[in-house]
Amino acid sequence: MRLRWPRPLRRLPLRARVVGAFTLGALLAAFLLVVMTYSLSRGSMLGLRQDSSEAQFFANATQVQGSLRAESPDFAVLLESLPSLSGSRSIVRTGPDIWRSPSLVPSDLPDELVEAVERSDQAHAMRYRLDGVPQLALGLRLRPAAVSQLSETLYFEVVPLSEIEATLASLRLILGVGAALTVLIGVAVGAWAGGRLLRPLATVSDAANSIAHGRFDTRVERSDDPDLAVIVESFNDMADAMERRIARDARFASDVSHELRSPLQTLRSSIDYLNGHRDELSAQGATALDLLAAEVDRFQQLVQDLLEISRPDADGSVFERGLVNITELVQHRVGTLGPDVELNITAAATNAVVIGDKRGLAQVFDNLLRNAEKHGGGVTRVGISRPGNLVRVAVEDDGPGVTPSERDLVFERFTRGAAARKRGAGTGAGLGLALVYEHTRRHGGSVRVESRPDGERGARFVVELPIAGHR
Amino acid sequence: MTTNVLAVEDDERIRTALRLALEDEGWQVSEAESCEEALERFTPEGTDVVLVDIMLPGLDGFELCRSIRRISHVPIIMVTARDDTHDVVAGLEAGADDYLTKPFAPKELSARIRALLRRSRTVDGSDLPRTVGDLEIYPDEGVVTKGGDELHLTKTEFRLLCELSDNPGKVLSREQLLERVWGYDYFGDGRLVDVHVRRLRLKIEDDPASPRYVATARGLGYKLRA
Repeated sequence: MRLRWPRPLRRLPLRARVVGAFTLGALLAAFLLVVMTYSLSRGSMLGLRQDSSEAQFFANATQVQGSLRAESPDFAVLLESLPSLSGSRSIVRTGPDIWRSPSLVPSDLPDELVEAVERSDQAHAMRYRLDGVPQLALGLRLRPAAVSQLSETLYFEVVPLSEIEATLASLRLILGVGAALTVLIGVAVGAWAGGRLLRPLATVSDAANSIAHGRFDTRVERSDDPDLAVIVESFNDMADAMERRIARDARFASDVSHELRSPLQTLRSSIDYLNGHRDELSAQGATALDLLAAEVDRFQQLVQDLLEISRPDADGSVFERGLVNITELVQHRVGTLGPDVELNITAAATNAVVIGDKRGLAQVFDNLLRNAEKHGGGVTRVGISRPGNLVRVAVEDDGPGVTPSERDLVFERFTRGAAARKRGAGTGAGLGLALVYEHTRRHGGSVRVESRPDGERGARFVVELPIAGHR
Repeated sequence: MTTNVLAVEDDERIRTALRLALEDEGWQVSEAESCEEALERFTPEGTDVVLVDIMLPGLDGFELCRSIRRISHVPIIMVTARDDTHDVVAGLEAGADDYLTKPFAPKELSARIRALLRRSRTVDGSDLPRTVGDLEIYPDEGVVTKGGDELHLTKTEFRLLCELSDNPGKVLSREQLLERVWGYDYFGDGRLVDVHVRRLRLKIEDDPASPRYVATARGLGYKLRA
């Protein structure tokens, strides 16, 4: 069964989950290590201290036992002479008499221990806290030296464990810091591993992006890692297949172009020939010829637009880059319309040069002008200005304008504005503005349509292209 | 003297339509539907301009251009139904002087032919012989010699050299050259100039890779070093 992340965690980014897993692992390992180390160390330290304390205790008890044989044992002197292991203190109780180390009073002894010692012949030991300091208390009932001795003698020793406690405290500190460091390292390793894990994904994503931007020959570098090789391989296979497909489509477009252009050539030549001999035709014949010529014009335009628009972006065939003087180009194209068009060129835009394909750019302005002539009641004004690093060409017409809801639609293929919805003489194929959009996009520019700024009816098409050197 | 046009086109209907249009111009048209037939009909003396469709059955239009170039400097116009860079440049490299993309208006074709047939006089009108390095150029006679030996330039290459030598040391843009040599008003193809400059260099330069005469002004055009 596949291990599944709990639902809320599944929503986390992969990298966060990897970091989380590493952190959790490090935390667990550190915790186990700390607990085990601490309890083992504590056990063994306390055990050792207890062993040595007991040994000392019995040695001392033997001495006290020995002094019981004396007539009147001087316990006070004896207690002082006893070796004191790391601050151990003693109490001797014989009946009501008590001898003690100066800082130890009988009430300091745990009652439990005293009772246990009173009741049995065996030595007893217990750990307890006295004034907040851990202590080991040991006690033993001594055998009477003579039957005459009625009162029994008890011997107690209290060994402070504060030293061990201090050692354990530093051990805790060290272990705590160690555990924190381990967790931190876990987090760091997790972050690194996460990044490492995601790096091939980033590479693949970069490559996909590059392909999306038209560089179809982008491939991901082969990987030696068998886990990654699979994804790299399949990505590259996909890119290969796509590139082949695009090449095939392009070849198809090219073949279609050839097949359509040859008959158009015959039509074009024959019609032009007939036009040159109009005077030999009857009036009806001339009318028929005009119809034929108009339709062939339209057909030819449609074929050319179709081929132009279906050309893949990356194909450099017609997109021949050079420096193009937009101002000159627009002046030239507007000049073909006749003297009625107002052409305003701001001082900054007198020689606006962009990098691009002259034919494609000429098509942009031709199509805008033709659109205004055919659907917009004629071009009224063309303006060229230079806002920032852009050259802006605005074409205004006198038509019904474009409603806000149609403003994005007009640049789609085969969309006709409300005014041009009626098919008939003079209507285009609906590709003109789509081509304007395509060409400006390929040149890194933009096109939009808006209302005329003077508030009159009519549309204003605005093309903006990046000035050469500022792209 | 009538102008003889050899139209090489495998599509009979296009050929006929073109013949009608060209004959309207008062030119004499001979037709060929294949490379082989074209070579049979072509005579260096009797043919003034050749119209070559690239897509021909058998040997293609590129091959025909190269074959004709081996024996003649006659102007060649290539006709293509594709506008792939590859086809256009390959055609120009094969020796074509100009190209047209189908469908073109017959008026456009006759304008192109007339431009190619124009006398080799330069736009500035100077026919005087001039000397550039060890090149001697005689615009009037259409002759150029290098160190006394005559060089074999096509008409277009020669006109290009004349235009450049008319303005020694001055950069001429591609557009200017397209207008003056090929007669394009605005929409000439810059590649025409580039390919012809390359071919001109092959003929007049000692080392075409590092040209001494025709210098490239990057992004601007070309100039002839005096």
